[in-house]
Amino acid sequence: MSQILILLRKSLLNFSRARAAIAITFIVPIALIYLFGHVFGLFGNNPGPEHIKVAVVNESPEPAARELMRALKAEKTFDIVTEARNANGTVRPLTEADVRQALYDNNYRYALILPSDMYRDGRFGVRIKFLTNPRNEIEAQTVNGVLQKTIFSNVPQLLGQSLQRSARNYLGDERYARFNQTMADTIANTFGGDPAVIRERMEAGNFFGAATTGRQDEAPAVAGGLRRLDVAKPAGTADGTTQPAATAPASNDADRKDLFSRIVNIQTEQVAGKQTKNPMAARTVGGYAIMFLLFAVSGSATSIFEERDAGVYQRLLSSPVRPSHVLWARFLFGIVLGLVQIGVLLLAGQVFFGLQIFQHAAALFAIMLTGAAACSAFGMLIAAFAPSAAAANGIATFVVLSMSAVGGAWFPTSFMPGYIQTFSKMTLVYWAVEGLTDVLWAGRSLLEVLPKAGILAGIAFVVMLVSVWRFNRSKFFE
Amino acid sequence: MLQLQSVTKRYGSVVALDDVSLEIPAGEFFGLLGPNGAGKSTLMSLVAGLRQPESGRVVVDGTPVTQTSLDSRRALGLVPQSIALFLELTAEENLRIFGGLQGLRGATLKARVDEAFAAVQLADRRRSVVKSFSGGMQRRLNLAAALLHRPKLLLCDEPTVGVDPQSRNAIFEFLQQLNRTGVTVIYSTHYMEEAERLCSRIGIIDHGRILALGSLDQLLTQLPFEDEITFPAGDATAPLTRQLASCGEVSRVNGTHRFRPRPGYPLSSFFTLTESFGLPPRLFVTHRPTLEAVFLHLTGRMLRDN
Repeated sequence: MSQILILLRKSLLNFSRARAAIAITFIVPIALIYLFGHVFGLFGNNPGPEHIKVAVVNESPEPAARELMRALKAEKTFDIVTEARNANGTVRPLTEADVRQALYDNNYRYALILPSDMYRDGRFGVRIKFLTNPRNEIEAQTVNGVLQKTIFSNVPQLLGQSLQRSARNYLGDERYARFNQTMADTIANTFGGDPAVIRERMEAGNFFGAATTGRQDEAPAVAGGLRRLDVAKPAGTADGTTQPAATAPASNDADRKDLFSRIVNIQTEQVAGKQTKNPMAARTVGGYAIMFLLFAVSGSATSIFEERDAGVYQRLLSSPVRPSHVLWARFLFGIVLGLVQIGVLLLAGQVFFGLQIFQHAAALFAIMLTGAAACSAFGMLIAAFAPSAAAANGIATFVVLSMSAVGGAWFPTSFMPGYIQTFSKMTLVYWAVEGLTDVLWAGRSLLEVLPKAGILAGIAFVVMLVSVWRFNRSKFFE
Repeated sequence: MLQLQSVTKRYGSVVALDDVSLEIPAGEFFGLLGPNGAGKSTLMSLVAGLRQPESGRVVVDGTPVTQTSLDSRRALGLVPQSIALFLELTAEENLRIFGGLQGLRGATLKARVDEAFAAVQLADRRRSVVKSFSGGMQRRLNLAAALLHRPKLLLCDEPTVGVDPQSRNAIFEFLQQLNRTGVTVIYSTHYMEEAERLCSRIGIIDHGRILALGSLDQLLTQLPFEDEITFPAGDATAPLTRQLASCGEVSRVNGTHRFRPRPGYPLSSFFTLTESFGLPPRLFVTHRPTLEAVFLHLTGRMLRDN
């Protein structure tokens, strides 16, 4: 054991003198994690994607189209473009031809057309065109999602207008007017309010309370309507009458957007990681820390070739030192290096992103220790099977990048196809990242992370045994 | 101190050592002379326990050498051909690490490190990083690292490769001094001058076989001549060379004639002949034959050509 400790001390001394190795092991990963923090929006509250250019051509005269435009402009994800610049510098509203050319030219990648026949006579529903040049699949999905959310938030009014037009076509002007008047009178009698205002809103398609008649003097509170049906019955007044809906709080965007959530009420509760300040940082820092560690220990393990070529092992092995002493000392050095490197990177994560690393120190140390052991054994395995230092570095780069991608160091494995998810569980990266995420994000205790730590320790043990077997078989030290 | 009994070592189909038997008593300064690839380093590595022979047995100080046994290694120190040091560490850190691996601790380790630095005259550079040393200084430290545990048998595998003459002399003097204290030294080299200067007994090795073994004088007796006379080639000496052909072997090397008289040919007859040609005695230089001649005689090849 003393031989191993002496050789371990030698490796630590050697490492402490190698400035380039220190820079690559610590400074570069810290700088990259800082950079990735900006890339992934880990600094402060992540606002999500912003300022994605979307062109909108509004050819429709309908009030609901204007309302949709207003909603799109209010959405921070988008920068809405509605105008084109003429050659003489003047601006004009965009046309469909403009946006088609601009999409082709990649000036922007998404465009929405609200056509003049947005409501087609005789049909119920709304027609909107969405033109894309989706160079980036993830961005396209994000834009689609946010656009759908914005459009569906305005569905009540859009469909309301469609319904009104269908009704007018079906009933004719006179019967249509009579129907709306009867409905407005009934609503006013039941819930209170001015029948004329209610009718005007109905004909604008606004059954649900958004004030968009265009009248400057209208009181936004007078609409009432369906939005009232899901709230508690108005409390009785002192004289036993019911407070009319007309005096209820004003309708607003939030009410309107909330309509669907009232129809289908999904209650969301975060069961784990509720207290985590920056959950995305927990996963990102953990994942990249493991990847950098793999690179560091692989590089360190391949230096075994340099020492062999320098003849150092001739001297060592002609003294009372066995090859196994050399190998286990290198393995231990990899663990120490790994612990320090992960520790430094997590500390950087705490400084940069507010990662909470001291709340479950014992659990974190268990994962760090076993993760570092597994990574160190992996480095030894690469060195054991590679014919030279150059080959080892090449193999390490390939395997580390592949294993990091598959194992979930870059993004969660749940995004990956099923067969990759199965394969990812065979990598040490998966268990190390899951273990770190368990501690840093879900705040798991030592007892709870022991199974994952055990798997990592098992991987380290088996891989190290294979490495020692391979070193002996290949007569590396002869 | 060292016995090799019918030792054979192969690398694939290449026979590196072929049934080599050798016995080296304690206190000897033994030279292993041969060209590159002759099997010197293989023999050293077998004695050091770095490799295992296919057949035969190696015994150091009464203990059989195996790759797994550490006992025999405590008796020996190896000075590898390469600079087997940690170049990023200081000289002292290197010696403390190698001393520690030999089981030295505390005050003993410190004393041995001080002793080693004094012996190789590097005490003033003990805190310098080894990579800042000159080639000669690195070689001296390479030697010191093998001596910390005071081995009974010191294996020096071409320890002066690439060393300047001054450092080479310092190393020679140190090794001779060490040998005088009773340390057995096995010194492999392809420089015949080193073997001639240092070694009390020399083994000439080629293609994995010991071709000749003995002291310098004993090896030279294997030659069919005792002396060698050289003189300049030219018109003046041309008639002489024709006459000498019947008295021994005459050859021409780089503008110089070399005459090796046949056994029993008296040198007085040679000088009588040169006088008869009117050639002054200062043209002729008499040499004692070298190991180069022995190697040439044994293998038909020049040692330097290898």
